[in-house]
Order: sequence, then C-alpha cells, then structure tokens
Amino acid sequence: MQKMGKQKNKTASFSFWNWVIASIIFRLILIYFPKNLNLASRPEVSTPLTSFRRLAEGYWLKQLSMSPYAGFSFCFFFFSLCPTFFNFFFILIRQKKEMYLIFLVFGYSGSMYHGSPLLLSLLGPLTVKRIEGQPNHLLYSLVSVIADVVSAILIRATGKNLRLAYLRSLESLDIVQQTKASEILSPGDAAALIYLWNPFTIVACVGLSTSPIENMAVILCLYGACSRLVPLAAFGWVIATHLSLYPAILIIPVIFLLGCGPDAPPRKLFLQKNNKEEVLSKSKLRLGFSWRPITHFAFWALLWSAYVLVLCGISLKQFGGLWEMFKSTYGFILTVEDLSPNIGVLWYFFAEVFDFFRNFFLIVFHVNILFMIMPLAIRLHHRPCFLAFVYIAIFSMLKSYPSVGDSALYLGLLGWFVNELADIQFSFFLFCGYVGVSLLSPVMHTLWIWRGTGNANFYFATAMVYACLQIILVVEGVSAMLNHDRKLRNLATSKPQDAKS
Amino acid sequence: MAETKETSEKDEKPKPRVRPIVRLGIFLISHSVLVSVVCCTAGVLALFLLPVLAKNTYISENALMPGSASPMLSYQHVSDGNRLVKDLTNLDLKSSETGIESQRVIAQYMLELGAEVSFHKFHAQLNQFHPLHFFSSPDSGVIQENFSCSSYGINTVGIIRAPRGDGKEAIVLVTPYNALKSGLGEAVSVGIAYSVFSLLTQVTWLAKDVIWLVADSRYGEYAAVAAWLRDYQIPKFSSLSTLNSEMCPDINNLYDLKVNSIAGSKYSNSFRRAGTMAAALVLKVGDQSEQYEDTISIYAEASNGQMPNLDLINVVNYLAVHRQGLRVQVEKLWSLLNSSWLKSLGEIFESLGKVAKSLNPEWKFGIPATEYVEGTATLASSLYYQALGVPTGPHGAFRDYQVDAITLEISPKYSLDKFRRNDILLRGGRLIEGVIRSVNNLLEKFHQSFFLYLLTSPSKFVSVGVYMIALALLIAPLPMVAASLYVDANSLDSKTNKSTPSTIADTAERGITIRSWRWLYSAKLVFAVHVWGAIVSLLPYFICQIPDCSSTISFMIWVVLSMISLLTLYSVLASPFSCNNASQEKEWALVKSVTISYVFIGLGLMSVINFATAEIGALLMVPMCLLARPLKFDLRAGSLRSFSRMVCNLVLGLIAFPPAAFFLLKGMLEDFGSVNIGDFWMWVESLWAWNSATYIFIGMVYLPCWVLCVHILLHTC
Repeated sequence: MQKMGKQKNKTASFSFWNWVIASIIFRLILIYFPKNLNLASRPEVSTPLTSFRRLAEGYWLKQLSMSPYAGFSFCFFFFSLCPTFFNFFFILIRQKKEMYLIFLVFGYSGSMYHGSPLLLSLLGPLTVKRIEGQPNHLLYSLVSVIADVVSAILIRATGKNLRLAYLRSLESLDIVQQTKASEILSPGDAAALIYLWNPFTIVACVGLSTSPIENMAVILCLYGACSRLVPLAAFGWVIATHLSLYPAILIIPVIFLLGCGPDAPPRKLFLQKNNKEEVLSKSKLRLGFSWRPITHFAFWALLWSAYVLVLCGISLKQFGGLWEMFKSTYGFILTVEDLSPNIGVLWYFFAEVFDFFRNFFLIVFHVNILFMIMPLAIRLHHRPCFLAFVYIAIFSMLKSYPSVGDSALYLGLLGWFVNELADIQFSFFLFCGYVGVSLLSPVMHTLWIWRGTGNANFYFATAMVYACLQIILVVEGVSAMLNHDRKLRNLATSKPQDAKS
Repeated sequence: MAETKETSEKDEKPKPRVRPIVRLGIFLISHSVLVSVVCCTAGVLALFLLPVLAKNTYISENALMPGSASPMLSYQHVSDGNRLVKDLTNLDLKSSETGIESQRVIAQYMLELGAEVSFHKFHAQLNQFHPLHFFSSPDSGVIQENFSCSSYGINTVGIIRAPRGDGKEAIVLVTPYNALKSGLGEAVSVGIAYSVFSLLTQVTWLAKDVIWLVADSRYGEYAAVAAWLRDYQIPKFSSLSTLNSEMCPDINNLYDLKVNSIAGSKYSNSFRRAGTMAAALVLKVGDQSEQYEDTISIYAEASNGQMPNLDLINVVNYLAVHRQGLRVQVEKLWSLLNSSWLKSLGEIFESLGKVAKSLNPEWKFGIPATEYVEGTATLASSLYYQALGVPTGPHGAFRDYQVDAITLEISPKYSLDKFRRNDILLRGGRLIEGVIRSVNNLLEKFHQSFFLYLLTSPSKFVSVGVYMIALALLIAPLPMVAASLYVDANSLDSKTNKSTPSTIADTAERGITIRSWRWLYSAKLVFAVHVWGAIVSLLPYFICQIPDCSSTISFMIWVVLSMISLLTLYSVLASPFSCNNASQEKEWALVKSVTISYVFIGLGLMSVINFATAEIGALLMVPMCLLARPLKFDLRAGSLRSFSRMVCNLVLGLIAFPPAAFFLLKGMLEDFGSVNIGDFWMWVESLWAWNSATYIFIGMVYLPCWVLCVHILLHTC
C-alpha cells in the first residue's frame, strides 16, 4: 500500500515538473510576441506601481542623476507629440462632461516612478540591456519567469508543509480514516500549478509588470513562517511591505504561524479530546502560544527593515533621501493620486468625489481594510495560512492600484485548501464569472478609449462585477472553511460513540 | 441573469426559509423548458417587431442647425467646377502618363484658390492575415518591407485654413478619383468638391479647417484613404518616410518639378496637417439611377459594425430631402422586398395596429404593410453589413480613429450631360456646403445622438435600448437552462450514490467532495474544444503562405487540418465513444451546462463588440444549444416528441455548420448553381483581411459550440 502510494507520488511529481517546464516554455513563447500582444500597456496588468515603463523611466532619470521620483511627465510630453493621442486628448476636452476622465486617462501627476529604489538598482539595468536579435526586454522577462517559478516551488513546499501539519492534527484527533476518502489532490502541487498556469499570472509575467516579484516576496514570507525559518519570514515580510505596503497586515498570520504552527482544526477540539483521553501526550502537538519565535521575528524584522532603509537611503542620497521615497511610494499609494482606470473601484470613486471630502473618504477606504483584520483574525486564528489568503484577497480587492497580478497570488494560494474547500458553493458560477469579467473588461476598455462609443461607466461596471466576484469568493471560501471545521468537529466528537455502538 | 443563476445554485441546499428572489430563481429554473420556449419565441418575435418599433430620427445636437442658413453656392462656383470636370475628361481622352497629369491639374486648381496643397505618396498594403491585430489598438501599421516603386499611389490634399478658427479642428471631404480609369462620375464628384471648395475659400464663417482629399483609388478607395489617415494620425519619427522617397528618387523629382513650376507659393513637399477631424464626408457620383428621381445613397457601416453618430446621417438626410429635393436611400436586401411571407407578416402587424388604434386612439402602433416590408429589408441589410464587420466604403477608415464619416453616393436621374451636370453640381454642392456648415457650427465632438443603432429607413432608426431587448430575450434562457442542468446533474448523482447501500457514509463523503468540482472535467473538455477553435482560426495564417494555392484547395487543406487537429485533441481527451464510468451517466448534462455557460459569455461579449453578429449567431446557436440531447436517449424513448426533437437536432446540427450555413444562405440569396466550394474560403479571407471580429467569433465561439453540440448528440452513455 505504502509502495503504491509512493509510486503514485512519484508519477505525480514527474507530471508536476512536466507541467512546470511546459509553463516556462509557454511563457517564453509569449515573450517572443511582446509587440503584438502589447500587454505592458494594458491597465489590467500594469498599474502605476508595477508598470515596466515607469520603472524604465525611473532608471533613466537616475542615470541622468536626477531623482527617480522627481521627473515631470515625459510620457505626457511624448503623447502631445503624437497627434492620435493629442487629438484624443483634445476631443475629450471638448466633451465637458468627461472633463474629469481626461485626467484619468492621462493623469500622470508629477512623477512617473513610484516603486522601490531597490528595484530600480536591481531591475533597472535590465530595462536597457538588449541582446542582438532577441526581444527587447528578454532579460527582464526572464527575471519575471524565474520569479514565477520560484514562487511556484515555494508554494508547493508550503503546501506540503501544510498537508503534513493537517494530517498530524487529524491523527491526533483520530479521524484520519474518515477524512482520507475526501483527499483528491496534493494541495502543494495543485496550488503551484494553479499559480503557474493561471492566465492572470502569465499575463502579469509576460506583461513585464513587477508583480511577480512582489508576489514572490509575499510567498517567501509565508513559506518562511510555515517552515519556521524566522529570518526568511522576516525578510519576506519586510521586502513585501517595502514593495507594496499592503502585505504589512500579513504580520498577523505570520505571528500566528510562528506562535502556534500551521493550519489545524480549532484548538477547542484538541482540548475536548484531551479532556476525554488524557493519554495523548502534549509533545505530539503544541497547543500553547510560544513567544520565542515571535521575539525572534521582531528582531529580524527590525534588522531587515533597518538594512533595507539604509540601502534605500544610500541609493537616494542625492535625491532627497528617504522622506522623498516615503512620500512618492507609500504616500502615493495611500492618497490615490493617480486616477487612471484600473480594475479596482477606487479610481472612479475618487474621480467623482468632491475635493473637500477626499481626505475623509481616503481614511474610510483604508480603514475598511483595517476593520476586517481583527474579526477575521479572531475567527480564523487557528488557520493562519487561510487567514493570510483571506487578507491577501481582501487587500488585492481594496488596494488603490490593483492589477491581475494580485489576483493571481490569492488564486494560487487558494490551491492550498483544495481539500478543505472541496464543497465550496458557487464554484462554477465563480469560475464563469472570472472568465467572463476577464474577457469583458478589455472589451469595455476598448469601447471606451478606442472606439469612443462607450464611456467610463462601461469599464467601471466590469470593475464592480469583478469586486463582487472577489467578495463572493472570500465569503464562500470562509464559510466553506468554517463548515469544514464543523464537519471535523462532528467527526471527532461522534467517533467514540460510533466505536461504542 | 447572474442573479438567477446564483440563486439557482443556492437551491442545491434546500433551506427552510427561502428569500423571495431565491424562490423566483428556483421557480424559473424548475420551469426552464417553458421559460426557454417562451423567451426564445419572444426574442424572435421582438426581432421582427423592430421595424414597427423604429422611431423617427431627429437632430439631437442643437448646435448643428441644419438648413438655417441659405446656401451660398452660386452658379459661378458651379461653372468653376464644370471647368475642372471638362479639363479632367479632356485629359482622360489624351490618356496621360500614369495619371500624374490629372493630379497635377487638380493641384493646380487648388493652388489657384489659395489653398495649401501637398501630395501624399503611399504604398498599397497587401491583405495579410495578422491574427493578433484583432486585439491591438489602431497601430502605425509598420509592415512596409519590400515595396517596389511601381506600386504606389498619390493622394492630392488641399487644405483651407479657417479664417475664424484656431486650426485645431478640421472637416474632411474625400473624393475618390482613379486617374488611370476614371469615369465621368468620378470627375463630376471632383467637380462638386471643387465648387464647394472654391466657395469655402471665400466665406467668412468657416471656423474649422477644410481638408479636401482626392484619394487615388487605383488600389481601391479604402486603401488610399486608410493610408492617408494613418500618416495623418500617426506620424513617423523613424527614418521610414525619408527612406521611401529615397527609394524612388526619379519619380519624386519628376513630380516635384512639375508642380513647383506651376505656382510654388503654397505647395509643400511635406505632409500637411490640420487639426482634429470633426467629421468626414466621402463623395461619389454614381451612374444613372434606376429610380425616377435623383437619389443619394448613404453608406455608414464601418469596421466591426461601428456606425457614425446618427446626427451626421440626420443632417445629410434633412438637407437632402428638405432643401435639395433629393431622394435619400440606404442599402436594402432587395430579395426580401418581394417575399410574400414578410408581406403577410406586415399585414398582420398592420391589422394589429388598427385594432390597437380602435381600442385607444392614443396608441400609435403599427405601420402599413409595404412600409414594414421595406423597413425589414433595410434592417436586414443593416444587420448583415454590421455583422460582416467589413466597412461599406472608404468612410470605414475614419471610424478607426473615432472620426464620424459617411459615404454619399449621388445617382442622377438622367445621364450626366452638359445641362444636367450643372444641376447635379449645384444641388450636390449645396448639400455638401450645408453639411459642412452644420458641422462647422459644432462646439463639441459629435456625441449627442446615438452611436449604436440600426437603420430601418433613412429617417427611421432602432436604438440600442430597443434592439438589445430582442437579443436579451433570446439569450436569457441560457443561464437558466445551464443552472437547471447543473443542479439536475448534481442532484441525480447524489441520488444514485445514496441508492447504493454499501458504504453509505464513505460515498456520501466522497460525493460531497467531488460534487462541487465535478464540472471541472466538462470544463476541461469545453476548454480543449475552444483551444481547437483557436487553432482552426490560426490555420489560415499558415495556409495563405502556401504559394499558388487556389481558394478551393486552400479550403480543403483547412478542413483537413482542422479535422486532424480535432481528432488528435479528441484522442487525448475524452471522446464521445469512450464511456468507462457508470457515474458519468449524466456527464453530457454537465457538458451541456458548461457549453451553454460559455455560449452565454461568448454571445454577451460579442453583443458588446458587434451586436449584429451576436444576434445572427444567437439565432442559430441558442436553439442548437438548448435542444442538444444525446440521440441515443431519443432513439430509446421512441415517442413522437423525442423523435421530433431528434429530427430538429439533426437538421440544426447540419444547418448550423458554418460552411453549410454559408452555402445555404448564398444559395438562397443568389442561386444554388453558382455556389463554389472556394467561395467560403474567399469569404473568410475577406473577413480576416478586414480584421473583422466576426471571424474570431466564428472561430472561437461559434465553431466550438457547434462541435460541442455534436459531441452531446453523439454521446453514447
């Protein structure tokens, strides 16, 4: 039996690597058509934070020994040279109603680059380096592909960790037999393949955005926390926060992960069990909350953030220092300065809102994310990885400049919980919704921007539907997970009676 | 719709207290057969009602004020125009070298008026299949690789700067002119444009620059206009333009010298521009019309069913009918005019209208039967040309840059002899003048009136809000049937599981686990067929690179390659003939459910891109999808109902196959004798040459749907 299992594992892993290689090849094929696909200019793929063009611009400014954050909009200058865009701009001005929306389309307020100075130093040189006869940004694309593959491997390792922990906890509850039947897939493989083959990931990777790297940092953090590599977890968390700010709230799941180990059924269950059967040794499962790794984590996080800040400070020494960086990265994220259309819902709202309410609504929208942290943390504290998934899904829905790369991340992490979420409701509906919206959104964008027969509402409608789908996914996911916990509890509590009868 | 579907899935788990909307959803889903029959009939009926529901057009933008000023075009301008026509026709008789002479004459006339003149050289672009062009925005089209100096054309461009304008906006007047083989009609159209142009150099009210483009139509009217527009909108910063002139130095020299020797003052060698285009008019003079009046035909369909703003058509229609006494017409499907069933349908609607009127005189429902037939014929042609996605004239090139444009073709009552020509020049000129004057009044871009509409006559239209109802009714059953099939398949499965007594708990557990994701297998199949669809739509790219291949052979190669790829995909994935598992008994229902969902998504998408294609596609696909059911079941049942369903399925499956549908339509409209197998290839070639989204629709939505329906029909278990 064991041998068979092993063999099965072997074939599974073999086909897993096959699929990984196939995905790499697929990406490389797509990389060779960058001009035709023109993905880098899609609003779904590149936001002001992750855009490749802005990165190149920042690097260029820095090479000219100007502050990468200070440049006036060269891009706009280019547009005004180019009559199509100029005409378009002009036409829109004529339509007084849409006055606001012009500045949405060309709303480059002040500087172009809003990313980290570290990315500039690491990836910047790749934006200009060319190889004869090869596509322009081959090296940069290769970095994205590698980032994707590394993320997938880390996801797989974490998934395996999670599964082991899950089995261990089931063992300690003596309900392995009952639940074994429902195991279909190895969650690690499933999650990694979902991540690699998700069209969103592929598009983000081929579209030269920096989100594969941001995602890798988040996954690195979760992997480190799951496998109890505290320095790695701290590094991942610091880098992820540094790159896109929102992953900062992942500190809560990371603390839970370090403090009480990976996902497990509710602790109450074990306590009940323990009361019933005193025999169970405590060493088998740690139930307490250990503070030691957390102090470790705090120490390492401080160390790494000091390190990152020093590096940033050095690289921005002539250009206004760290304050400038904070203002045009975190400040830019929090104040939603750039209102160019994206798949989120904030741009439309802040284009419409009156200026004197702006600050108020900025606070409302950001606090919205913070409000959800505590209740979820309380309800799902026994499943820190799932908690991390929910947090990521929520902030990729409510963040100021979302892109499909963010969705790619949480959809990939969803794969970790295939067995727990097997009886999620509306799975088919959600799938169709995602397919429909991801096809409809570019069409609506074309209708608005290129054909001129639609307007901003068309595009925003798809953004709203997309947000609704994400909400349904999160709600259904959480309720399915709670149902699963309930099912486990039923199994665990009814088992002794069964044995008696 | 999404809501009903969502609610549908909610009833998987019956809850004690159900919200009304959920109850409504469950009700609809449980009666999905009835609902789909009712909805589909209503959808088809609504389509036939559209000519009755058409509204009269009205001018929505107040700034246009058509016809409020009296025309200023006098006989003096007409005689100027006539002079140019004479010169051109005389030149034709002399048969000058490569047509440069006539361009020179036109340029000279323009210069004499004090306009800025420049020539625009362009290369005719070959029709090439670029599969990815469908997705990209209007690009610079930098595909110029190996052009010889022989295949180039010359557009003559004259620009009048507006005395009252700031040079930011322009109105474009286009007259296609083939210098090598021009008829009298083309010369007259140039004459009309010239007489208007000569007037416009004198007027004081002009606030927008006027560009007159004499498009060299030796490689087709569209190509010339598109090339000029491309250069106008997307300047080349690279060395390409200089390279072009270097490539053919002798031609350039010869040509520049001649023009420079004329006047020199305002002639410029470089590309001249004015501001943003507010509107464009393409003017043609056709041959003698069959009608009893001077008629003017309006062509408006641009690529992918895009239409210019309705106000532009309204202005032309208003001025032509009420000021110049011209008869305005739009394209009709002539074969429909004589059909008796349409006439009787019209009579039914007419009598219904009378009944409605007798009940309440306020109700203005119903139109005369003859009007109904004409409206339907016009509507059908409007739908057809929009669905084809191929522009009906050079105006199509403008729409790609968001410029509203139409083609006007004037067909005179008598032949264009001396006296009649003056009349046509005067009336045509005054019409153009009036339209330009209206557009000149515009403060903003055309935006007040509709962009999405179908015409049922030059003065009647059906707006998007009305015609969408027909499509919405037609595709409304799709999500409902999908949901009901999905629910059925799942519930049936759990029932069968429960009926097996052994290991109840275990299977129930497994059932739950798998149940919610069981659709994934069907989704895999559907996805694979869509991938196949993508492969089939990409194949012509490779086939058309085979040299010396007749259309019939290309078509054959295409069919064979598609079959091979389908068979390989089938052997890799599930085929309808392999049925290994008893639990897959309801597999077909899930496949059908997933198929229907994807058809729904596809039709919804297409209705946004090109309504007409979606409507015509829905008329075929919706019954096919809804009726599909394994033939084996119907054979087994043996009742009359199942037999009739089987026959329907077979007939639909046969008709809906794209080439079959094409040949059938062609045979019906023309003649079955003239149908050639290669015609389909030619038709498809024209679709992709024009970057029509219809091609993508057929390849990626329609064909996979047909294959999946056949898959369901042949399902054996």
